[in-house]
Amino acid sequence: MSDVRNNRREAGGSSVITANRLLDGRIVWQVGEAAWSTLIDDARIIPNTQIEAAIAQATARQQEDGLVGVYGVQIESDDATPTPVTVRERIRAFGPTVHPDFTPAAELEAHA
Amino acid sequence: MPDTLPAPALPIGHYGYDQVDRAFLADRVEQFRDQVARRIAGTLSEDEFKPLRLMNGLYLQLHAYMLRIAVPYGVLDSRQLRELAHIARTYDRDYGHFTTRQNLQFNWIRLEDTPDILARLADVDMHAIQTSGNCIRNVTCDQFAGAAQDELVDPRVHAEILRQWSTLHPEFTFLPRKFKIAISGSPNDRVAARFHDIGLVAKPAPDGGTQFDVFVGGGMGRTPIVGVHLRDDLPEEDLLAYLEAMVRVYNEYGRRDNIYKARIKILVQALGTEGYRQKVDAEFAAMNRARYRLPPETVAAIRARFGTPDLHAPDDAAAQLDRARRADPVFDRWVRTNTHPHRAPGYISAVISLKPAGGIPGDATSAQMDLVADLADRHAFGEIRVTHMQNLVLGHVRQDELHVVWQALRGAGLASANIGLIGDIIACPGLDYCALANARSIPIAQKLGARFASPELQETIGPIEIKISGCINACGHHHAGHIGILGVDKKGEEYFQLTLGGSPGSDASVGQILGPALPEDATVDAIARLVDAYLVHRAGGERFLDTYRRLGAALFKDAVYATA
Ligand code: HEM
Ligand code: SF4
Repeated sequence: MSDVRNNRREAGGSSVITANRLLDGRIVWQVGEAAWSTLIDDARIIPNTQIEAAIAQATARQQEDGLVGVYGVQIESDDATPTPVTVRERIRAFGPTVHPDFTPAAELEAHA
Repeated sequence: MPDTLPAPALPIGHYGYDQVDRAFLADRVEQFRDQVARRIAGTLSEDEFKPLRLMNGLYLQLHAYMLRIAVPYGVLDSRQLRELAHIARTYDRDYGHFTTRQNLQFNWIRLEDTPDILARLADVDMHAIQTSGNCIRNVTCDQFAGAAQDELVDPRVHAEILRQWSTLHPEFTFLPRKFKIAISGSPNDRVAARFHDIGLVAKPAPDGGTQFDVFVGGGMGRTPIVGVHLRDDLPEEDLLAYLEAMVRVYNEYGRRDNIYKARIKILVQALGTEGYRQKVDAEFAAMNRARYRLPPETVAAIRARFGTPDLHAPDDAAAQLDRARRADPVFDRWVRTNTHPHRAPGYISAVISLKPAGGIPGDATSAQMDLVADLADRHAFGEIRVTHMQNLVLGHVRQDELHVVWQALRGAGLASANIGLIGDIIACPGLDYCALANARSIPIAQKLGARFASPELQETIGPIEIKISGCINACGHHHAGHIGILGVDKKGEEYFQLTLGGSPGSDASVGQILGPALPEDATVDAIARLVDAYLVHRAGGERFLDTYRRLGAALFKDAVYATA
């Protein structure tokens, strides 16, 4: 779900776009136009200068793409793979800290 | 159902649905099935759909949909608990979370599955109505109702009457804000009556009937307030009329312009107790009292739809329990901490702790739910209660059978001897699950639970209530904790603010902020120092709360911040 705290963005930074899937509520990250993944590692990294336009585009397609609550998440600038700057978004990306077995990566493996 | 089948026995401890109730629920499920289909097809937008799903207990949380299922006045029967276990296994991740409002939440629900889940719930007379939105929420109740030795009136019949009065009440579906009612029938407040929008305490009336103490305008959240005592003599027959008048006044004057000022507590503060009382009395005098009169026949008719346990213990039940306690010190400790005196000779109420050291407060696996349902069938008339402390209770256990019950619980990791002690922590879902959270509650509870795991240590520390909320909404009751812990967000990182001196009970008080918030990795150590300071300074058998009230915050402040 969108959160006002996610609108604080540094001009020089980068972000990724996230949403929840309508059918099961699960968190996804935008990989490309109309392509979404449960893994933040797959996410497309967008400079903050372009993020508002990208969010608007994704929001316009959300019903078509089966999504709700599209928004942008600022990531650390120095990590090779995207890591959100806030604890909240890290928990969304990597699963509840109290269930290490519930990470999105572990889930993909379980269903593979 | 063909009418050749014999009527099933009434459930013990809660109201038995009739065909009208069942038809209503079945309709409601089909209505939601249609709404979900329209949402998926795109003919309902998210903005249109959201209030509809919330009316059916379905939230969109951090990782997935969350379904909150009502447990009216906290009483379940074994068939219902088994169904919850089945749903956890089939549609969720094999566990459920019992909440401070005596409900159950599933955290990993799919929208697509929800109509089927609601249909399964309806099969066992359950639903998710009144678990969300600005209506009168599911009424909460004393977990020892109908069993406790100190109880004066069994409040569950009145809780059911309130449920029927408030469910889908046309006038009260869109109140200024949510509205929570708790009811007890014991002078020892175990329901936090003074922290509810309305708190009721049932007691015998001089004429032999029932009357109520009425508290109003208590609450937690952003503005914690202890409710005021509105009256001590509300007659049973006026219960609905008077509550109707109370809620009408709120509906009319409560603030809809500002969500933070919309609860009844703000109205009561603004009008003053007298001002609010006058408005309620005027409404009460003007209303059609006959329409809302609650005659003894109606109460009797509702009571008749409750199954009652046939309590017959052998004469030596207590002696057998004594022998078992003497033979096994571990069992003896558990009996000391996890049971409550029963009104009937030879019986006892057993509290099943959902707080294993290092575990997640309130979580139970499907297997544990099944086991508790089986134990309830064998030893407690098939009845289970959910407590607002996020534990479970078997209300009526024969004392000579308690040892067997305990052994079975122990085998399932359900026999932590910590009720009312430092391990019996309330924690809201916090940032691990909740979309509104600032910080994680559960890991703090887990670390504290592990730190104070030793049952000997817990008994030495004595009664103490730690309560943790992940944000100021206070779902984890931190304002009412002897030690309250509130998660705050500082630039995207988690900090925790401590409050001391809160109490939910008959001596209700709001905890006071101790000082600046602490980083996550310093919080558990700080609490350990607080507890040490208490152990050094306590006099006699004082509880932590008593020591705090006697000596004030200064020494605890030193203990927390000296080395922090
Ligand atoms: C995870 C989803 C949840 C959400 C979105 C949520 C939301 C809220 C909000 C917004 C409030 C403040 C209401 C106000 O002051 O007007 C609140 C209060 C409360 N919630 Fe929750 N809550 C959640 C979970 C829970 C859980 C799991 C429990 C039980 C453990 C709970 C029990 C309470 C209680 C007892 C209050 C305090 C009532 C009062 O202010 O008097 N909530 N909740
Ligand atoms: S207190 Fe805050 S974090 Fe905890 S469940 Fe309530 S809304 Fe969520």
